[in-house]
Amino acid sequence: MMTMLLALALLWPLVVIGWTLWSAYLAPAAQQGYFSALWLSAAWPALLLAYGGEAQWTMDAWMLGGEWALNSLSRPWLAFTALLWGLAAIHARGYFAAEQAKAQKGDQDAQRRLLRLALLWPLTLLGNVLLIIAQDVASFYLGFALMTFAAYALVVHSGTEEARLGAKAYLMLAVVGEGLIIGGFLWAAGEADTLTLQGLREGILVAEQGAWMAALLCLGFGVKAGVIGLHVWLPLAHPVAPAPASAVLSGAMIKAGLLGWISVLPLGSEQVSASLAQFGRIMLIAGLAAAFGAALYGVFQRHPKAVLAYSSISQMGMMTALVAMGLVAPDVWPLLWPGLVLFAAHHALAKGSLFLGTSISEHLPRWPLPLVWALLALPGISLSGAIGAGMISKWGVKSPLYEMHHESLIKLLSWAAVGTAALVSVALWRQWQQRHKGGSNREQWGAWLVAMAAALLTPLWLPLPAGSIEMPPLKEWLGIMWPFPVGGLFAGVGWLLTRPLKGKSLPAGDLWWLYAGMVDAALVPIRRLGHYCAKLKAVSVASAQKTEEILMGHLTRLLSTESWLRHHVSGLMMLLALVLAALIMWEGL
Amino acid sequence: MNAAWLPLTALATSLLVVVIIFALPEDARRLRTTINLTAAVVKIILVILMVRRVAAGHEDIVSFQVIGGVDFVLRSDALGVMFAGLSSLLWLCTTIYAIGYLEGSANRKRFFGFFSLCVASTIGIALADNLFTFLIFYEMLTLSTYPLVVHNGTQQALDAGRVYLRYTLSAGVVLLLGTVLLYSLTGDQSFSSEEGLGDYLNDHRGLLTLIFALLVGGLAVKTAMVPLHGWLPRAMVAPAPVSALLHAVAVVKAGAFGILRVVYDLFGIELSVELGVITALAVAASFTIIYGSLRAIAQEELKPRLAFSTVSQVSYVILGIGLFGPFGTVGALAHLLHQGLMKVTLFFCAGNYAEELGIHRIDEMDGAGKRMPLTSIAFTIGAFGMIGLPPVAGFITKWYLGVGAIQAEMYWVVAVLVASSTLNAMYFLPIVHRLWFRSGPAHGKGNWPKEQRLGRFETHSWLLLPMVFTALVSLGAGLFAGLPFSPLDWTARVANGEYLP
Repeated sequence: MMTMLLALALLWPLVVIGWTLWSAYLAPAAQQGYFSALWLSAAWPALLLAYGGEAQWTMDAWMLGGEWALNSLSRPWLAFTALLWGLAAIHARGYFAAEQAKAQKGDQDAQRRLLRLALLWPLTLLGNVLLIIAQDVASFYLGFALMTFAAYALVVHSGTEEARLGAKAYLMLAVVGEGLIIGGFLWAAGEADTLTLQGLREGILVAEQGAWMAALLCLGFGVKAGVIGLHVWLPLAHPVAPAPASAVLSGAMIKAGLLGWISVLPLGSEQVSASLAQFGRIMLIAGLAAAFGAALYGVFQRHPKAVLAYSSISQMGMMTALVAMGLVAPDVWPLLWPGLVLFAAHHALAKGSLFLGTSISEHLPRWPLPLVWALLALPGISLSGAIGAGMISKWGVKSPLYEMHHESLIKLLSWAAVGTAALVSVALWRQWQQRHKGGSNREQWGAWLVAMAAALLTPLWLPLPAGSIEMPPLKEWLGIMWPFPVGGLFAGVGWLLTRPLKGKSLPAGDLWWLYAGMVDAALVPIRRLGHYCAKLKAVSVASAQKTEEILMGHLTRLLSTESWLRHHVSGLMMLLALVLAALIMWEGL
Repeated sequence: MNAAWLPLTALATSLLVVVIIFALPEDARRLRTTINLTAAVVKIILVILMVRRVAAGHEDIVSFQVIGGVDFVLRSDALGVMFAGLSSLLWLCTTIYAIGYLEGSANRKRFFGFFSLCVASTIGIALADNLFTFLIFYEMLTLSTYPLVVHNGTQQALDAGRVYLRYTLSAGVVLLLGTVLLYSLTGDQSFSSEEGLGDYLNDHRGLLTLIFALLVGGLAVKTAMVPLHGWLPRAMVAPAPVSALLHAVAVVKAGAFGILRVVYDLFGIELSVELGVITALAVAASFTIIYGSLRAIAQEELKPRLAFSTVSQVSYVILGIGLFGPFGTVGALAHLLHQGLMKVTLFFCAGNYAEELGIHRIDEMDGAGKRMPLTSIAFTIGAFGMIGLPPVAGFITKWYLGVGAIQAEMYWVVAVLVASSTLNAMYFLPIVHRLWFRSGPAHGKGNWPKEQRLGRFETHSWLLLPMVFTALVSLGAGLFAGLPFSPLDWTARVANGEYLP
């Protein structure tokens, strides 16, 4: 039964692709519907699979040997991922309704864009699902690569100048990330002679250079997870991607990087070597730096989706810090990880609904404005930990840290939550400034509302191990809730203080521009070297030809001598005979 | 039981076809096609028979003496049968493609005659059991390829042909010198002999190194290792099926295969390590890999870019040899097969674009995905395979090479592999991007350079089918690498034979 479900979950997106292609081939452009009911259902078998229970599969014929499993980690992960994909698909159908109408009227560009999106969306989903259930390196890498490269179409969809820049940044960093990942995989798997993620974790734990392997893999997955320094694609790609694509990008796909870390790092193991622990501390610092830095930079953004992208970086920074705790303080990990999964799931749905909300504020439904803004704010408030699932997930990570006495980290995380609150307030403010009337349709606000409800109620439906998550006791509520009002206050004060700088804001993508400048500068001497090499080659070819000419000249001279000899052969023979005769005569004398 | 007829028939099938094709008149198109295809299918069947016999542990031998001390020997062993299988499978595909490609053009008799001769030589190379036999077929390959390279008869083609001959014939002389030196030192040395050349190590260390350098140096020209690669990008003027033949089926592969034979079967891996030549080989291969990729980035036309990609990719095989150990060997052998499949797909695609739309330059490819979807999908699969992304076969070899490098403690090789993958991505992804994400003539912007409607589908179906087939096989070879008799499985068998006595 579970095997049937698994096959269905993996094959269904392919069926959807086939069907979409087939119907695009058959139906005339004027009646072409790219987002059929079948298309919407692409993620549902995967969702069913997540609730089917735990299971394991081994397939020897698959690549280097397939090992797939649904366990206590991959089940909740698959559940929130598939749910978000399903909701975003429904939203997408509403979001692209106008573009589809254009396509049906004969706009070829729109037809092309929509068909591309409709085909690559399920493929991206397939990669995401596969990497969650994969327990062997090859399948995991396959899923990761499939998701990464297929998602290019999601980012570049609108085809504008900015979209192309965002997609370029995305793809370049993705290629760098893939390179780092495969390098780390080869190194770790080669040392440990293993093909499974489990073996990889054990290998990294005992290997002499384990910390370096971990660093390679961490940076590689860090491109997805937006680790500081490699995060630059997020604020460039998110504002330009369509809202549902941003939702899955920020909700589901960057979580794949997090899952990558959890899958390959030997978290919570007692025998963590000193160098690995040291690496964990660096990761912890990097995570906290991202959490604060992104918040500080993000509040100065204009585009609401850029603000939200920085909020994602900040949140992922907090999760990075929590993952790092698995190396720094291994004993806390068994208690911490369910909280981290809940944190990730809640962030996925909340950030998803925030991104979906940007399409609502651009097409305001005919509801009272205060109601709309209250609803738009809800997932944000929850994200900063003041209500609902956000509060529970904060407690889920705080209480194990309390138990193991890591108070300073808790304090830092609380202050990072202040940053989150400030970012969310700024995002709402920017949305308010850039609001548009124009009626969103039922699919758009329906999916948004469901995503929001799911975000607020995450602990109720997430299939985490029983008893791993509990409500915070009443006396702790204040300690969890305070960052939200403080953050809102900060945002307000900041707004007042920066009012004189009207119209000035920092460019999205921060370090990207620095990197681009550095690469340009580095290319100058390389180009010069290239020119020099070309010149050198031309010179050597010319000199070789000259040598050849000279040699050929000698040869020709030789030939002409020969022909002269041939020409005068009779006379020469006679001469020879005469000489011989003379010699004989001289001898005879 | 020794089924001596088997290797002999496999060789004779192709040679017979050569004779028949040259005997037929130019316009006997249908008969020639039938004979060509029948022979190709018969040869695949013969190779399958050989595979079964080798898998069961039999090695069939044919031999006769030419003059005292020099024998002509054919033997079907696992490594040879692997190469024979690759070339005969791809021969069928390329023949079908060539028939479609050359439809209506002149001199087809000459083309198919030499084409078959080429493949006959390849089978000879695969089954040769000593250096003398190998050399005969190797030179035969050189000479029979020349008429194919200059097939178009243009000045550019003749120039390219001259460059080709200069490189390969001088390499042949070097190879001959090495062979003669070896024969004078050891007498006839079978590839299958157990003892190898280890006995001569103590007294003739310098001479052995010299022989190795001469042999590998001679073979490296066909393998297109830098700086001996100059002929390969020049030979791009040849028709697409010939490029496929050069890059995937026969010529380049014959060089790499020869190096495999020299290292594994003639010198033996231990002796090669002992001589210290194996690391030199790995370094040279790494240099070629990076250099080829860098040059490929600079190309603006499709076929030269693919050519430099071949320069880079074939050296993966040599790199695999350079990693002393079973994983490296599996990677090397598997890449011989995988690169053949993927590269032949890419060249078929390039040929299709050129034939159907007149596309030669990369910047003309905008939006071709809409006009030729199957070709573009096949190209995408091939390109992703070259980058080494799963699930295409290229990933499998990269994995084995990388793991082999780690186990041989040559960590820098992993860096080379990663750098090469990144460079591959840098020159293949822009093409894929152009195919699918830019709008071009298919969307009403401008015109294709020279559009023809060759068939009912996106192009002539004889051009389409082989390409779809090889693309699917490249995908399948990666996705189901664990199946018995998959390329990976067979190469693991060969490697076990090398390392487990």
